[in-house]
Amino acid sequence: SHKHKLDFRKSKDLCLSYIQDAMLQKQWKRAAEFLTFYIESLEKDFSTEYMGPSEMIWRMGTEILCHCSQSNMKEFNSFIEQMKTLGVKRYLKVCLEHAFHLLCNGRTDEAYQSLSLAESWRFGEQTTAQDKELKLIQAYRGLLDYYNWSKQKQVLLEYEKDGFEDLSVEQEMHNSFRKAAVSLKEIIQIPGVWDLFVQCYVDLLEFYGDHEEARQVLSEYAYNSKFPANPNAHVYLYQFLKRHGEPKKSLISVLKILHDIVPCHELMIDFHAMLQKSKKRKKRRLGLEVIFAALDYAGWKENVKAWNCLARQVKQIIISEKHLEWIKQEWNSRKDWWPAFHFSRYLAKRNWQENESLAYEKALVAGILLGKDCKYFKYVSHQGCKDQKKKKFRTLKKFVNKHSSVYLKISG
Amino acid sequence: GCWAPPLAPQDILCRGTLRRKLRSGKAGAALDFTKQLGHFFVDHPEDAFGSLGPLLHKNFYLGNAALRVSVFVGLPALHPTPSAAAGIANVRPICSPQRQARDTTIRMTSLVEEINRLEARHGCPRQRFAPRVRWFSHLCRDWLFEVPLGLLAGCVHDELERRWAGLLFDDSGTAGALAWLPTGDAGAHTGCLVYPAGPAMNQLCFQDVVLGEMPRARGSPAQFDLNGRIRQVAAAQVDGEGFVGVRSDYHCGVWRVPGRPGAPPTALQVIRTDVPACCLTASPHLPGELAVCTESGAVYLWSVETGLQQLRREAQTMFFRDHSPWRWSEFTAHPRVLSCADRTGLQCLDARAPERCHFDFFKVGEEAGCQQGERVVLPMYLGRAHPSQHLVATQFAVYVMDERLPLVPVLKWAHMMKAPPLFAQVVPGGPGRSHKVLLGASHTQELLLLQYTGERWGGSGSACQLAGPPQKLHSISSCLQHLPAQLPHRHRLLQQRLGVPATGLAAELHAQGQRESLLVFQLSEAGDVFYQSLTHEVAQPEAPDGEDEDAAAPSPSAPCASPRPAPAVPSVAAVLRYRRWLRALFRDRQVPSRHGGARAPPTISQRRLFTSKDLVPAAGPGELHARARQQLLRTMRQGGLIGRWAPAPEPQPPPQPVQP
Repeated sequence: SHKHKLDFRKSKDLCLSYIQDAMLQKQWKRAAEFLTFYIESLEKDFSTEYMGPSEMIWRMGTEILCHCSQSNMKEFNSFIEQMKTLGVKRYLKVCLEHAFHLLCNGRTDEAYQSLSLAESWRFGEQTTAQDKELKLIQAYRGLLDYYNWSKQKQVLLEYEKDGFEDLSVEQEMHNSFRKAAVSLKEIIQIPGVWDLFVQCYVDLLEFYGDHEEARQVLSEYAYNSKFPANPNAHVYLYQFLKRHGEPKKSLISVLKILHDIVPCHELMIDFHAMLQKSKKRKKRRLGLEVIFAALDYAGWKENVKAWNCLARQVKQIIISEKHLEWIKQEWNSRKDWWPAFHFSRYLAKRNWQENESLAYEKALVAGILLGKDCKYFKYVSHQGCKDQKKKKFRTLKKFVNKHSSVYLKISG
Repeated sequence: GCWAPPLAPQDILCRGTLRRKLRSGKAGAALDFTKQLGHFFVDHPEDAFGSLGPLLHKNFYLGNAALRVSVFVGLPALHPTPSAAAGIANVRPICSPQRQARDTTIRMTSLVEEINRLEARHGCPRQRFAPRVRWFSHLCRDWLFEVPLGLLAGCVHDELERRWAGLLFDDSGTAGALAWLPTGDAGAHTGCLVYPAGPAMNQLCFQDVVLGEMPRARGSPAQFDLNGRIRQVAAAQVDGEGFVGVRSDYHCGVWRVPGRPGAPPTALQVIRTDVPACCLTASPHLPGELAVCTESGAVYLWSVETGLQQLRREAQTMFFRDHSPWRWSEFTAHPRVLSCADRTGLQCLDARAPERCHFDFFKVGEEAGCQQGERVVLPMYLGRAHPSQHLVATQFAVYVMDERLPLVPVLKWAHMMKAPPLFAQVVPGGPGRSHKVLLGASHTQELLLLQYTGERWGGSGSACQLAGPPQKLHSISSCLQHLPAQLPHRHRLLQQRLGVPATGLAAELHAQGQRESLLVFQLSEAGDVFYQSLTHEVAQPEAPDGEDEDAAAPSPSAPCASPRPAPAVPSVAAVLRYRRWLRALFRDRQVPSRHGGARAPPTISQRRLFTSKDLVPAAGPGELHARARQQLLRTMRQGGLIGRWAPAPEPQPPPQPVQP
């Protein structure tokens, strides 16, 4: 009857909420008991909801078994095997997560087997979702191949040191390489974030000396517009080019793009240093822009290195008395908020207490950009000059006083 | 939305029809519209029949006696009777020539009786139409009403729909109205709780709190009376000073809380908006800077020094069409870049060139693996944990996003909460420790704690992952079972009070020597503040990664007149405070009944939507109420929007009505 059905559904929902409650309170045993009731109440999963009951049973059961101290690996595996047969559409997902679980417990070989088994599985016509999942499974299997490869490589290197050869290991290693390379190459052609796979693939290629291919893979990963804008892609390319001693020019062009996407990347310090060494005026101008932009970010507020870079370049510009307009241009868009963001009296006090060298660099910049009456500069130079031993603060004060006209020029 | 169905005369008076129609049709919520309109007529007779009531009162007779000609001139001709008819004024004695009265007066008593009988038969399947009632409504529906009935019904229906939507999901209190600001130096264990209080939740309180063994209120709170219900309190600490943004429907204000404990907060600025404001966030980077959004789709950067700067005005949602006017804005790692959100996703835009410089940050769609119908409920900047991370909560899942890698979530977890999380708090973990994120829902009072570890700024670059399974914390109503037993009717009262929706969430890590605890404060709609403390437990061997926080016995407390039910071993002071709170609760519940007015139920129910008699707060007893009123009027006349109201010491303070 209708009422009976309704009651049945209600009690099922209630049971589900009990399980959830118990899990969120870490009462795993209670949750397991409720879960068995829940499973019994299910006849067949006809649901069209986003997450049907059988998926829930799989997820909750896995979670509970992971946390139940009594359960062992065998139990877990048998549960998973049951789950694999419960839903055809979910088969690949279950396999992948099972492999992760095995890996977390240090059972690499079993994980490998499970993945290769899943790889050969076919059901009906392949949907796009299935295809993607299959690629992912292949990729992780490839990752394990890579892992084997690097282990064998280590062994061979040890042997080499001791002066003997082992052809079988070498053969095996080459085998692993081929398997890994094929499946890794496949996944990184699909748009996505594949940092791990790309790194491993490039490592393989580099070991066998295929630099051209590696370079192509990396630039494809970085520059293909179908891929999400991933700053790591540019970092990998930069690191690769740097390893292979590429000319400064190409390094700079890679970092320039990184600067455009993520102005607050840690590599911006290196980028600035590189640009500073350049003889070209345009590059040095870009350097100033880079360091100013990096210091805009909250995460860089206390970065001594960055402040040192800025202080040095500003000082250089002032001493040479050339390109004051560079500073002026950069300062223009910042003068309404940098004083409160970087150069407040509160920060002067705190920086002085916590990091004297940071306070020194910042005071130099503040003194030049805001004049010698700025609160930050006044506080730090006053504190610094109190101590007779700290000579650098006296020179700082002298320097700022000497160039006090700069402040008028750039703020005017 | 759907417009009110055109009403037939019988729909007004015979309520069965419409309901049947709604049940058979595909109309969404089957609100009993006829009844609601009826309530409106009873509650606002002046608005509904304002001018015709006085005009007609001479001609309608509601007494029991038959109409007859009186022979005594100057004496009441008709007996005045207590009126039971809706909106029809009492028939008063008429002193006009008697013959005329006899000709122009009709007896309405039987009609009223018939209406009452209809009421009594309500729901009866064999209900017959009353021809007389139909005849009367047909006769007068065109001229009896002050506002044409169709128009009025449209307005009432719109209002009903708005309220109905509010009952299903009320986003006006997004992000919550409770804030914690640490004061004094680090390790001083003092802070300031900011929350609304009062019957209309319009008093802004700044309460100093000392975190000792247990959090304890110090002194009485600094109070400000505002002229609107406080929806949200947003706080941020910049340069050792706290900045508190307060949002009500049409006003936003900002207060400064000095870093020294005990120093009084000062109001800095207030802005008024034409459309309700729906978001206010305080900048963690620059003092006195806030972001404001209104329901018209406008986003402003509000600086106390330079005023308002409009960054965007877009009535349409960003990525696909959604009806909600809700907008949100948060600050990001760059002090000049703000994130703007609506129900469909987030964008980041640069305040220096808002039209040109912006990028998509989060999209409800395939990239994030969203399911159908998923909508953004609450975005939050996680700057305290990591400068470039944001939390995006939807009704199904929470996402951790990184500004440097937009559109691809770095962490996703399906929270399975019964109600969408409206409140969130982050408590950053130090180096090598997990960050704690608390999620809270309003009506169900759910509270979840999840911990995640992520890459440190400039660190080695480990991936974001959850540390240990998420945990459910105690809700306010769950502390009822730990309280001493009460008489049944008081138990019910207490249950009701503890079961009201939550309206705010705050958290603070409290380290005392070796012992470290996480204090979680919760505010309820009744104005009570509760806390629970979670103490750090040594991780068990089978869960080697991540730390384990375990909930201690719930020990709700409140800084002022709020409950403090017993923890495992309650202190004497705690018991006293709890008793005081309980006494006040029971006393205030009894006061209005003595005055004869029923109180509004704790949550609006659909049935009660329009009985405004119930919603009128009990007339504040006497002097204090009058003074407050006067003060409010004066401030409004002067154009000031808020005023500090310090009541003079009262010999005997009148009972404060408990807010429903």
